[in-house]
Amino acid sequence: MFDFVRPPWYTESMIAQETLRILTESAKYDVSCSSSGSGRRNEGGIGNGMPDGCCHSFTPDGRCVSLLKILMSNDCVFDCKYCMSRRSVDVPRASATPEEICELTVDFYKRNYIEGLFLSSAVHISPDHTMEQLVRTVKLLRTRYCFHGYVHLKGIPKADPLLVSEAARYADRMSYNMELPSEKSLKLLAPQKDKESLLLPMRQLRRERDVFRAEKRKGAFLPAGQTTQMIVGASPEHDGQILRLTESLYRVTGLKRVYYSSYTPVVEDALLPAVQSAALREHRLYQADWLLRFYGFDVEELVPEEEDLPLDVDPKCAWALRNLHLFPVEVNRAPLEMLLRVPGIGGRSAQKILSARRYTALTFEHLKKMRVVLKRARHFITANGKFYGEKNTLAVRGLLAAGEREDAGARQLSLFDTPAALSAHTGEL
Amino acid sequence: MIYFFDGSKAAFLTAFLLAYRDEDALLTTGSHQLTLGQKSVFVRADAQKAARCEQRLLQFDEHCMRDLDLLLRSGEEMRGQTAFLYFRMIAARKRPVRGELAENAVADASECIRRVKLEAHRLKGFVRFMECASGALYAPLSPDNDVCDLLLPHFCARLPHIPFVLHDVRRAKAAVWDGAHSFLAPLGEAEIVLAADETAWQSLWRQYYASVNIPSRERIRQMKGYMPVRYWKFMPEDPSAAIGDLPFAARNASDAAAQDGAPHPRGSLQSPPAPRRP
Repeated sequence: MFDFVRPPWYTESMIAQETLRILTESAKYDVSCSSSGSGRRNEGGIGNGMPDGCCHSFTPDGRCVSLLKILMSNDCVFDCKYCMSRRSVDVPRASATPEEICELTVDFYKRNYIEGLFLSSAVHISPDHTMEQLVRTVKLLRTRYCFHGYVHLKGIPKADPLLVSEAARYADRMSYNMELPSEKSLKLLAPQKDKESLLLPMRQLRRERDVFRAEKRKGAFLPAGQTTQMIVGASPEHDGQILRLTESLYRVTGLKRVYYSSYTPVVEDALLPAVQSAALREHRLYQADWLLRFYGFDVEELVPEEEDLPLDVDPKCAWALRNLHLFPVEVNRAPLEMLLRVPGIGGRSAQKILSARRYTALTFEHLKKMRVVLKRARHFITANGKFYGEKNTLAVRGLLAAGEREDAGARQLSLFDTPAALSAHTGEL
Repeated sequence: MIYFFDGSKAAFLTAFLLAYRDEDALLTTGSHQLTLGQKSVFVRADAQKAARCEQRLLQFDEHCMRDLDLLLRSGEEMRGQTAFLYFRMIAARKRPVRGELAENAVADASECIRRVKLEAHRLKGFVRFMECASGALYAPLSPDNDVCDLLLPHFCARLPHIPFVLHDVRRAKAAVWDGAHSFLAPLGEAEIVLAADETAWQSLWRQYYASVNIPSRERIRQMKGYMPVRYWKFMPEDPSAAIGDLPFAARNASDAAAQDGAPHPRGSLQSPPAPRRP
């Protein structure tokens, strides 16, 4: 039917199942998954960038599969306590060749399994050697395999700055993981890494990107910018400290995004907690992060430095409850900045309200019809002068917290539960 | 009066002209139970009337035909009436009404359009190609809305040198890219011969899907929210197997979806098992 011949450079070097399993399982705790921000065009070959990003599948842990997340090698010379590939643990080790990675990427991509490649590596032999391997793979993928899809490349701390610059010319996004929110924790749990080895390349990349843009050079230089990741719950830092670090990273290094990963114990160590950190804390940090980036909040408004975010209500609700003197706001008159500060009203709902109120005075019926979620918002707004919420602060907090708890850990009690278990669920002493 | 039309743009615009002043008009593409004494008419497309109607509507709202295209792609039974009420409002007010979301007609049309666009966006990720022996790619899909050809520009831009077929098995049609031209064609049943290594790549993908999951953080509800079960049937990673087999009723969101048969490719791919009945 069609006359499609495989390109002559195609070597059919298919990666072994076991190698793929080892290299994927070692990479899966890296939470960065987005494929957005790059509009790279197809210039004769396969693939292009999709600026909005695209999720191709979802795994039973609720995370999206957008990129082929894989390590080049899990044979590491570093000994970071929290890492499953650290030097001192006895786990199966494997490495993949650049050709194997490239062909896996291209074959998965053309079947529409993935949006691109997320390539990382354990520090194999030395930081420079590892970075060289990563750069070689991405260069091969872009030049010989003519792949124009999304590539996220992990930077290796302490690698040569020239290698970092070269990598940025081929990747869409690069990231250096902060891993731990303070220098002290980093020294304790990741002794071979230090704050400067992570911040220096981030600053270098920002500087070079600014120059690249100012000079309007041809090609692309990290079109999707940089990101980083922090493990939450492995060290004693408070949410306030984590969010302050986040805010300064956005300001100083121009990061696109900071990811948070709640700590999962994969190796035993006396310096690390033995239990998994609460997923809800990670969720609250992401909510606060969104408020910083898209809702015009300042970190000082959200949480003091030595405190954690409240777990019973989301950070926007908590802020609103502390500032009840600013509410209720009239949806027909409030400016966009204030609408965005109402709990339950997000960017899309705020835009809908702005658009619809040009033509008519909005009532609660109208808001419901426009699918604006009123469960939380009704306590903080009036619509055409009407207020349908609770006036008592304690009652509002109770209702908002009850809404959050709706399905968190709820289960049918069993006749055979022990008294202690029953007490834990019912609250009865 | 009830105005039946065939779902095409020209037929809708012809029916719109006839029904515009009818207070009790109902435009529909499907079957409808008539009440006692209710009248009905089957409206055939009239190119002249449709062109006249389109021209007039474009004077009021230059982007309204884009909305109509999306509304008529909807899989909802009441799409004809939703579009009719929306366009009657444009004609009555003689201006775009897109932003007047407090109006029922606009809210319904906007929701309908949102669903069509959302499905097209989702399918850009959920479509799964199989490589044929010829090197062409073939992907079966059964969308709720008629979005097959909306996906064409996306895949043409990223796979310009590889011919591919997007087969809507529910509507028996296919969107085809032959490496130079894209077109729509009727396609009932497809018989394909898979490439020799297709099974091996699918197996690697299943391995990857299983390895990348973190079992201690199970969030099935979130997974199903982002990737509704009705899209799972053509995915080689078989998410239902990853979370334990699902009953037949849960696999198919609607009766229409249950009728869609997965193609049985020849070659190295094994035939899919027969679906379990409740």
